[in-house]
Amino acid sequence: MVKYVVKRIFLAILTVIVISMITFLAMNAIPGGPFNKEKATSPAVIAALETRYNLDKPLPQQYLLYMNNLIHGDPGVSLKTGRNISDIIAESFPISAKLGLSASLFAVAIGLVLGSIAALMRNKLPDRLIIFFTTLITAIPAFVLATLLLYTFGIRLGIVHVWSPGKSNIVLPVIALACYPMAYVTRLTKTSMLDALNQDYIRTAKAKGVGNTKVIFKHGLRNALIPVITYVGPMIAYIITGSMVVESIFTIGGLGSKFINAITNRDYTLIMATTIFLAVIMVIANLITDIVYKLVDPRITLE
Amino acid sequence: MKKLIAVMLIIVTLPVLAVCSGCSHTRSKTDPTMLNIYLASEPNSLDPALTIANDGMIMLANSFEGLMTYDKDGSVIPGCAESYTVSDDGLVYTFTLRDNLKWSNGAPLDANDFVYSWTRAADIDTAADYSYLYEILANGRYDSNGYFIGLGDGAVVASDNGKTLTVTLKAPCPYFIDLCAFSVFFPVYEPVVTANNPDGITPGGWAVDANENYVSNGAYKLQAWDHDSRITYVANENWRNADKVSVTTLNYMLTTDQTAAYAAYTAGDLDFMQNLPADDLSIMIKDKDPELHIVPQLATYYVSLNYNSKLYDKLGLDEEQAKVFRHALCLLIDRKFIVESITQSGQIPANSIIPVGASNGTFKTTDYFPVDDYEANVAEAIELLKSIGFKFDDNNKLIDNISFDFACSGNNLLVESIQSDFASIGINMTIDQQEWNVFIENKRKGDFDLAYNAWGMDYDDPINMLELWSTNSGNNDAKFGRDPDKNLDWTVYDRLIEEIRSCTDKTARDEMMHQAEDMLMDTWCLIPVYYSAKPYAMKEYVDGVFDNVLSTVFFYYATINAE
Repeated sequence: MVKYVVKRIFLAILTVIVISMITFLAMNAIPGGPFNKEKATSPAVIAALETRYNLDKPLPQQYLLYMNNLIHGDPGVSLKTGRNISDIIAESFPISAKLGLSASLFAVAIGLVLGSIAALMRNKLPDRLIIFFTTLITAIPAFVLATLLLYTFGIRLGIVHVWSPGKSNIVLPVIALACYPMAYVTRLTKTSMLDALNQDYIRTAKAKGVGNTKVIFKHGLRNALIPVITYVGPMIAYIITGSMVVESIFTIGGLGSKFINAITNRDYTLIMATTIFLAVIMVIANLITDIVYKLVDPRITLE
Repeated sequence: MKKLIAVMLIIVTLPVLAVCSGCSHTRSKTDPTMLNIYLASEPNSLDPALTIANDGMIMLANSFEGLMTYDKDGSVIPGCAESYTVSDDGLVYTFTLRDNLKWSNGAPLDANDFVYSWTRAADIDTAADYSYLYEILANGRYDSNGYFIGLGDGAVVASDNGKTLTVTLKAPCPYFIDLCAFSVFFPVYEPVVTANNPDGITPGGWAVDANENYVSNGAYKLQAWDHDSRITYVANENWRNADKVSVTTLNYMLTTDQTAAYAAYTAGDLDFMQNLPADDLSIMIKDKDPELHIVPQLATYYVSLNYNSKLYDKLGLDEEQAKVFRHALCLLIDRKFIVESITQSGQIPANSIIPVGASNGTFKTTDYFPVDDYEANVAEAIELLKSIGFKFDDNNKLIDNISFDFACSGNNLLVESIQSDFASIGINMTIDQQEWNVFIENKRKGDFDLAYNAWGMDYDDPINMLELWSTNSGNNDAKFGRDPDKNLDWTVYDRLIEEIRSCTDKTARDEMMHQAEDMLMDTWCLIPVYYSAKPYAMKEYVDGVFDNVLSTVFFYYATINAE
């Protein structure tokens, strides 16, 4: 186990380095630059800015300089706003993380419950209803749902502020983000639960006189969880890193919107920092998923 | 089993209950001391030297004050200065500052602060986009390539007691006083600027968050900055007119999503909004919504054509014929349709590159071609094209093939309208939609035939528009004088611009500016489309908001008639 984890961590670091190289090459390959503006900037000013941010150096040197600073904990300053990138991430990541984790929790909790209900009451009305609605939700993209929610609760009913000068309300964005994964988890749970409940060991457990609740939770659900876990790890990372559209609709300043803006602005330092940061989260989420497998199902050998 | 499912259902409904507990507030009546505003997304900077866009400049104009400022009628009046005098030769301005000026942190502000701020804003180490505006001052420093890199000695001098500021210009400048009210000329507080720039790579480091570092000297001071969500300003009790401010809190919504902002406006969460989404704007116009306001802007939207494009070789046109060709294209655009059916919000069909209203008191814009009779224009265009050898059939459709690309980024409807205008006589124009940054890059490199363009003036004087097309100007998108193989001698234009810059007589200066515009328009490389206007929406209970010709909006004398 320890050997495996060490190996995985080593691979994860390698992945991140490769991602950083590809990102660096790609962002320098696309046309455009960080100092392109509607009103042209004086060549002297551009030269001064390029010197300031080391952009006048050859590309390999720029990459090494950047990575060296990053390893020493300095992701640099944003070329567009002049803010310290560590400040930008420190401030916007918790917002995205809060949003993403709440949405994930919501999706998993409700998805597991609904999925189990659907499996236990197979082909009865609740099952039919659940499958109908989850199919419907799967077909609605998060940004459409977000707009609908905003329109309904913000404008028609007027019970939430569309925007308020105080704090952002995260309930609607959480629902908007959670619906799709929730529907997916529901369907996944139902399928694997049905699969699990038909296994011999369930029949054995019932025959031994184990109570209904215990059979469902300990023997059924636990075994049904494995495919769900496979999905949940990357799902959490995906929700945290991919909530930019919903963040933008609800005016929540998370990391997602920064990531997109950095690319449009060719804000090279910010592109590098956010990509590497998000890559690290993805890699960690995958690593944890693999370790949790082992905890849920001791039969899985990690080599 | 049933009990189990019942428990599960309760778990499922819990989050739904949470929604309603999270939104138990009711929409409150308007607070007469608070304005909620949408301008645009996160400003690139709130450092007066580094801010380049209208949204940031509006925030600055409400939180800083230069030597001069704007009155409710949009005229320039003394701000930090009490009065000023100009020497007879128009070169030396002496400003007398008001007594007891203070920064928002209570520290005294005097003429030395202006010396520091101006020197800093002009300096190459600050690398401010607008530093070139300081070139009009005397003794400027230049690098080996002739680019401006900062102020020299003696251009800006404070008296020993800090009460007066003496500014010496290179040549008389009719718009210098206007510049004194422009954000790049606002004062900044030296201790925080230097303290937050230890390595010299963060000149704007003091102005990136709301904390004790952000010191201003205007009507409001920065209270909170929730990046990409909101900015809050509160009234600055140390401002000289603090007693006249009744709206004590300004909240700015920050989002790239104009539709979300309009939703907030409709829901009553915003009181003022600019950058209205096109669809909602056209509904407001159709309904004659009393909340919609349209103010003229000093800006021309135009099509720039690359003088050195390979297109003309392909069509077999020499330089003179290419001019006639471009003239014909210019006449083919139906400007009335564009302003009445597409932009729809107070824009005026343009027939000169200098916008109407950019008068500087005396300059009168020239009509370079008629815009009222579109049919007549099309007929003339056809005659022009025939005169350079293109053949038409009996239905006035081109027999020859003319096709080219039109580079743009956004503005779909407008560009499509131009495309169909050209297509009406058989010209084949392909729309080349590009990502914004790529589009700018291609324009700068001269990698285009036709491109959509716009210029909003930085101050009210035609020279701001004219100097864009000097040979070495970064904004010379038509690429005049960049190809030595062409016959066009653009050094004449460069010399003319230099003469205008140093001219002492206003009438002669206006005359030369007309000459320069004539030269530009004679190339037909700049096809004016419309003079811009700015629409904004404001709730009827808000009063006293005013603006100037540069589309800067001032909120500090606003009042709210709460119900």
